[in-house]
Amino acid sequence: MMRIVIIGGGIASAYLANSIKKLSSYNEVLIVSDEKYLPYNRIHLCSLIDKSQTLKNISLTLDPTIKVELEQKIIKIDKKNKKIFSINSMFSYDTLIIATGSLAKVPFEIQNINNVSVFRSADEAFKIAKNSIDKEVVIVGAGPISLELLETLNHIESIHSITLLVRHKYLYDKTLSAQSLKIIEESYLKSGKIKISYEDEIVETKIENNKIIELRSKKLTFKNPFIIFGIGILPNIEFAKDSLEYDKGILTDTFMQTSDKHIYAVGECAQIKETNFIAGHVKECTLQANSAISKILNLEEKEFEQEVSIDMLKVDCFDLIDVRSPTFTCDFEKIIISSDREKRVDEYYIKDNKLIRSIGINSNIDVGYIQNMIEQNEDVDVNSLYENRLLSEKGRLICGCEHLYHKDLVEIITQNDIRDFFELKDFSNAGRVCGRCKQMVEKIIEESKSLISPNIPRKTSEEIQIEKELKKIERRIDKFNKLHPYNQLTKDNFDNALKSMDIATKELNSWISMITASMQLHPSFEGSVGTALMSLNRIPIIWLELSDCSGNSEAFIKSTNPSIEDLIFDYISLDYHELLMSASSNESETILENIINNQKDKYILIVEGAVPLGLDGKFLRIGTHAETGVELLKRCAKDAALIMGVGSCACNGGVVAAAPNPTGAVGVSEALERDDVINIPGCPTNPINIVGTLLYYLMFEELPALDKHNRPLWAYEGRIHDNCERRGHYELGEFVQEWGDEGAKKGYCLFEMGCKGPYAFANCPTMKFNDSTSWPVQAGHGCMACTEKNFFDKYANERKIENEKAENEKSCH
Amino acid sequence: MKKVVIDPVTRIEGHLRVEVEVDDENIIQEAYVSGQLFRGIEIILKNRDPRDAGLLAGRICGVCTNSHFRAAVSCVEDAYHLQIPKNAQIIRDLMTMALFIQDHVVHFYHLHSLDFVDVTKALQADTALTSKTAYTYSDNPFRNSKSHYENVKQKLKTFVDSGKLGPFSNGYWGHKEYKLTPEQNLIIFSHYLDALKFQTNISKAIAIFGGKTPHPQSIVVGGISSVADMLNPARLNEYIFIIKESKEFIDRAYIPDMKLLATAYRHEIKAGSGRANGNFISVGGYEFDDSKLFESGVIYNHDFTNIDAFHHDKISEKVDRAWYRDDNQEEPFYTDLNKDATLKTEKNSDKYSWIKAPRYDDKPMECGPLARVLVSYSKQNRTLKPFVDTFLKEVDLELIDLSTTVGRNAARAIETQYIAEFIFKLTSNLLQNIKYYDTRTWTKYDFDTLAKESKGRSFFEVPRGILTHFINIKDKKIVNYSVIAPTTWNATPKNSDNQKGPYEEALVGIKIEDTKKPLEVLKVIHSFDPCLACAVHIIDTKEKELSSYKIK
Repeated sequence: MMRIVIIGGGIASAYLANSIKKLSSYNEVLIVSDEKYLPYNRIHLCSLIDKSQTLKNISLTLDPTIKVELEQKIIKIDKKNKKIFSINSMFSYDTLIIATGSLAKVPFEIQNINNVSVFRSADEAFKIAKNSIDKEVVIVGAGPISLELLETLNHIESIHSITLLVRHKYLYDKTLSAQSLKIIEESYLKSGKIKISYEDEIVETKIENNKIIELRSKKLTFKNPFIIFGIGILPNIEFAKDSLEYDKGILTDTFMQTSDKHIYAVGECAQIKETNFIAGHVKECTLQANSAISKILNLEEKEFEQEVSIDMLKVDCFDLIDVRSPTFTCDFEKIIISSDREKRVDEYYIKDNKLIRSIGINSNIDVGYIQNMIEQNEDVDVNSLYENRLLSEKGRLICGCEHLYHKDLVEIITQNDIRDFFELKDFSNAGRVCGRCKQMVEKIIEESKSLISPNIPRKTSEEIQIEKELKKIERRIDKFNKLHPYNQLTKDNFDNALKSMDIATKELNSWISMITASMQLHPSFEGSVGTALMSLNRIPIIWLELSDCSGNSEAFIKSTNPSIEDLIFDYISLDYHELLMSASSNESETILENIINNQKDKYILIVEGAVPLGLDGKFLRIGTHAETGVELLKRCAKDAALIMGVGSCACNGGVVAAAPNPTGAVGVSEALERDDVINIPGCPTNPINIVGTLLYYLMFEELPALDKHNRPLWAYEGRIHDNCERRGHYELGEFVQEWGDEGAKKGYCLFEMGCKGPYAFANCPTMKFNDSTSWPVQAGHGCMACTEKNFFDKYANERKIENEKAENEKSCH
Repeated sequence: MKKVVIDPVTRIEGHLRVEVEVDDENIIQEAYVSGQLFRGIEIILKNRDPRDAGLLAGRICGVCTNSHFRAAVSCVEDAYHLQIPKNAQIIRDLMTMALFIQDHVVHFYHLHSLDFVDVTKALQADTALTSKTAYTYSDNPFRNSKSHYENVKQKLKTFVDSGKLGPFSNGYWGHKEYKLTPEQNLIIFSHYLDALKFQTNISKAIAIFGGKTPHPQSIVVGGISSVADMLNPARLNEYIFIIKESKEFIDRAYIPDMKLLATAYRHEIKAGSGRANGNFISVGGYEFDDSKLFESGVIYNHDFTNIDAFHHDKISEKVDRAWYRDDNQEEPFYTDLNKDATLKTEKNSDKYSWIKAPRYDDKPMECGPLARVLVSYSKQNRTLKPFVDTFLKEVDLELIDLSTTVGRNAARAIETQYIAEFIFKLTSNLLQNIKYYDTRTWTKYDFDTLAKESKGRSFFEVPRGILTHFINIKDKKIVNYSVIAPTTWNATPKNSDNQKGPYEEALVGIKIEDTKKPLEVLKVIHSFDPCLACAVHIIDTKEKELSSYKIK
C-alpha cells in the first residue's frame, strides 16, 4: 500500500488519480490543488463565460475514495523526508506526482488590477464574464486560446467592441497560408464587433485605483478597457525549483520520473530531458500519466512516446482541423489546395516526401485517413491528396477524437432512437473523449430527434443490444442441435433426466438465475442459459490430463450444488476423461480417435496440467503407443472448436513450471503456439467457471470477453481485495498481526499476513468453494493469488510483498 | 509369452502403464508397472523459503491434497523443533480424518466398484428380493425399502432410456468376471448414487477448516490459520453433523457392501487372488488419550505373530530400474522405450519407470489400509481389534484372507468405519480443550532467530499408506527436499535383484479371460487405490538423516 500524492487540480491530475485507483484500489491517493474547486475540465472554460455551462457541469468525476485538499498552494518539497508544504499544511507521500500544468504569461504584474485577466482557470473565466460587460475588450495574442475566447465574447450581447492585438501578421500559427488566414479573418470581422490590429503591442498603461484607465498600443488607444492576455504559457514549477532538476519544465525521463525517484511530473509542467518535449494536449497528458503509473505500480512498462496530435478550432463560420506529427518542424514543403468559392483550404506539410502535418479549413477530408497517413509514414501520393478532397461527404467533422462526422451522428441518432446525450453513450463516445464537441453533439441530437421514425418501438440501447444477442444465441443453439453427439441425452428427455436426478424445476431455475448473474448477463438471458444448458451435451468434450495432480478434476466432481452439478456433469458430454471413464487402454483410445476424426471443429478440448517440453516431451507419455503429452495435445487440439486450459498449470505451467522449471513445462497456449486458448486459472479452479465458460461459448459462439491473460472477464475481472468479506476491516485499519491472535479470531484483514488479494483477480469471494462452505480468506489464511501467472515464484507465501522485497534486498547487499 | 500393454489405466489418479506377460492360458507370468509422468516438485522446492514448502508441496497431488500439505509443514516444524498447540493438532487431524473417509468412499464406489458391479444386470433385479437380500449383510440396511429400489431401478432405466450411460458407458458389461446377482448389483448401484452426494458433502467437512478442497490453505508453520472457524460453534456443529451423516452411510451401506463382496467373491479370496508378497509396513500414528489410532510395525511373509519394530534407518531407496542416474540419483535419466513403444525390461538393468524404488530392509513392502489393519490388529490395538473381529466373523474369513484384491477393499472399509468413530473422540477433545479456555492455534516463533541450518522429517499414515517428507535447510533456504509416498512403495519398479513390488507381485498368477478386456488386471491394480502424481519423486542423496526421528 502506498500513499500517492498528486499536486494539481486539472485533467491530468484527475486522470492520474482515477487510473491509479482503478488499477490499485488499495493505494491511497490524495489530490492537492491550489484552486477552491474540485478538478474540472479546462477545455470548457469558454462555456463558463457565456454561461452555457456551470462549473458543476464541467467538473471531472473522481473515484469516491480519492481524497482532495483544496486551496493548498504548494510552496516547497522536502524530498528527503518525502513531504510537501503549503503555507499552513504539510502532506507526506510515498510517491509524489506533480501535475500543476502551466501559468499564463503576463507582461507585468496583474494580480491587483481589476480589469486585466488571463484565461487559465474558472475564477478567471468568472472574472472575465463579470468585468468585461460594456467594456472595450482587448485580447492580446492570436493563438488558439485567444481565438476561441474571441469567438465566445463575440456572441455575448453586452460586449460591443473587441480588439485583438496581434504582435505579428498572422493568426493561429505562423505556418498558416494566406488563403486560410483570409477565411479566418473574414469570419471574425463579419459581425463588425471585432477589430484586429496586426503588428501591434502595448506600449503604455495608466493605472489608477487598481484599474487601468488608459491603454496605449503602437497603433491604438483604449479608455477603461478590459484586457485579456493570451500570449503564451509557462510550466508552473516555481515551488519545485529548489528540489528538482528543471529547464523550462521539470526534467523527467520517458517514464516521467524526475531527478528524485519518488517524484514524477506529468503534463504541461514536465519536460522530457531526452527530447525537450513539453505536452500541450489532453491526449499527451494521459499518455504521460499512463507511463508514470506503469512505473509507479510496477506494471508492464509503458514508455512515453509522442503520438500524432489533433487540434480543432470551431467557430460559427469555419472549422479548423490541425493534424500534426510529433516529428513536425518548420522545415517543410507545403501543398495547398484551396477553393475560394467553398471557403475551403487543405494545407499539407510535407518533408522528405512524407506527410508531417495537415491543416484544413472547412475541409471535408477524413481526419482518420490523415492521421493514418502520418502514422504509416508512407510516401505521399500528391494526386491522391487532390482526389481525396471530395472523399468524405459526411458533412462537418463533429468529433475529432472519434472521427465522427455530422451524417454519421445523425444516422446513429435516428437508427437507435437516441433522445439525449446520455443515451448516445452506448453507441458512440463522441463528445466524451476530450469533451470539446459535447455541446455541438447535444445540438445535433436535438435537431435530429424529429427525424426518428415514430414507429420505432421505444427501447433502451441495452434492450436493443440484448435482443440482437438473444437472436444470435437462438441461431447458434439451433446449429448445435443439428449435431449428433455421442451423448444422447437430449432436450426432449431433459425432464426425464431431471426426475432421475431428483431435481425440482424450481431448484434448476434458481441455479440458472445464479449462473446468469455470475456471468454478468442481464436477467432476460436466463431463458437462453436454460436452453444452452439443455444443449450442452451437443458438444463432445475431451478432457486431457497432462502434467497435473488431478486437482481440477477432483474439484469438478466435487463441485457445489450436488444434484444440479451432477446433472450438468451428465449433460456435458465428457466423452474422454481418464479419471472417470470406465474404459481403459485400447478401448479408451478408440473413443478418443473417434471424436478427433468424426467431430472435427465440433468438439471442445479441456486441458488440465502443464505441458512438459523438455526431453522432447518424454517426461510424460500416454497410451499404448506412448505418445508424449505434447504430441497428444497437438493431435487433440488440431481440430478442436475451442480449447480451454483449466487450472493454473494448463494456463501457464503453474507449479510445474515454477523455477527452475525442471521439465521445461509451459501452458497449453504456449505449447500450441496459439493465442486463442481460453484460460481458467486457479489451483484448482472453481468448477463454476468451467461450466459458465462452456455455456458462454455455446450461447455466444465467440469466446467470452477476455483479459490480457485470456481469462474470461466475467469470472476474473474482479479483484479479490475489492470484493473481500474482510474489506471493511482493511478500511478501518484492523489487521491480523500474527496467526491466531485476537484479530484472527475476529476475522480482521489478512493483508499484514501476506494476503495477496490486492494482486489477484477472480470471483472466489463471491462464489467460494465446496458448496459455498468457505474460501482461503475465510479460513484465515489469505489469498495466494493462484489465478495469477508465476504465482509460486511471486505470491505463494505468507509475507507482504514489500517486506519480502526489503528482505531480499537486504540479503543481496 | 505374449505381452499385454494397458495404458492409460483409467479410474486412477495419474499416468500409469501396466505391461503383463501371459502364457498360453493367458495366466500372468510377469508384470511391469510404470509411472509415466515426471514433474520434479522436489527440484522446484529447492532454494525456497522453508515456510513456503507446504503450499507448494501440497500440489504434489490434488487427490491426497491435504496429506502433502500437512506433511510438508510438519517436517519444517520438525526441523525447527516447533511444537504446535493441541488445538492446531486436532484441527489438522479433523481435516486428515475427513479426507480418509472421503478418499476411501470415492475410491470404492466411483473408481473401483465398476470392476465388481455389472450395472446393466441391476435392471433385472427383483426389488422385493433386493430388499430381503440386503438383510443378509446388515440388520439395518441403508435406504432399503422395496419402493426405494423400485425408484433406483426406475432411475437407472430412465438414465439408460435418456440415452446417457455417463460413467458407465463402454464398460466391460457381461464380462465373466462379474459375479453378483441382479439384486446384489442393484444394492451396490443404489449406494453408488448415494455416494455421489456423500462425497460432495464430506468435502465440505474438510473445507470448513481448510478453506477449500482440493488444496486446502489453512495450515501454517506453527499451527493453523482457521481459528475463527474453530471458535465458531456453528462450524463445529456443521462438521459433526456431516460426519454423523457419513457414519450412517458407512455403517449401513459401505460395510455391508464389503460383506456382500466378501461373500460373493469368497472363492477368489480363498484362492488368494491379488495377494502380494506379504511384507507390510505401517508407521502408525494419531495418538488420542492413552492409545493411538494406528500401530507401527513391520510384517514379513504374512507372519502375523512376529511383528518387527519399525526402524526408519532400514528404509533405503534405489533407482536401478528407474529413470534416474545411478551415480547422481537426483538427476532424471530417461532411457526411453523400445521401438514398439513397450517398456525396456529385458535386462535386469533396464530402466522402466519414473517411480523410484523404496525398500525396507532391502525388501519391497506393501503399505496402506491393509498394512495398517494387519499391523494394528496383530499388535492387539484394542480399539481397532473389535472392528476387524466382527467383520471377519460375520463373513467367516481369516486375517490372511484380507491380503487379497477384495480383502484390501474390506480392510479399507473397516478402517473407514473405525475412523468415523474416532472423529467423535477428536471433536470432543477439541471442545474440551476450548472449554478450558485454550484457544491457541499457533506457536509463536521468530524466523530470524531460528536455526539457519537444520533437517526435518515427517511420517504420516495417510489414506493410501505411509507418507514421508524430508527437508534439509541451509542459510534459511531449502537445499534438499524428498518425498516417499504410499504409491511409491506399492507401485515400485524392480531393482537389479528382480524382486517384484506389490502391484507386480499381486498381478502374477492372475488369468485374463480376454486380453482385449483386461478387467482382471484393472481390478487388482484398483484395489491398491493408485495415485501416480504422488508416487513419482527423486531421491535426496545428500545428508538425509532418519535415525533421530521419533514417531509420535
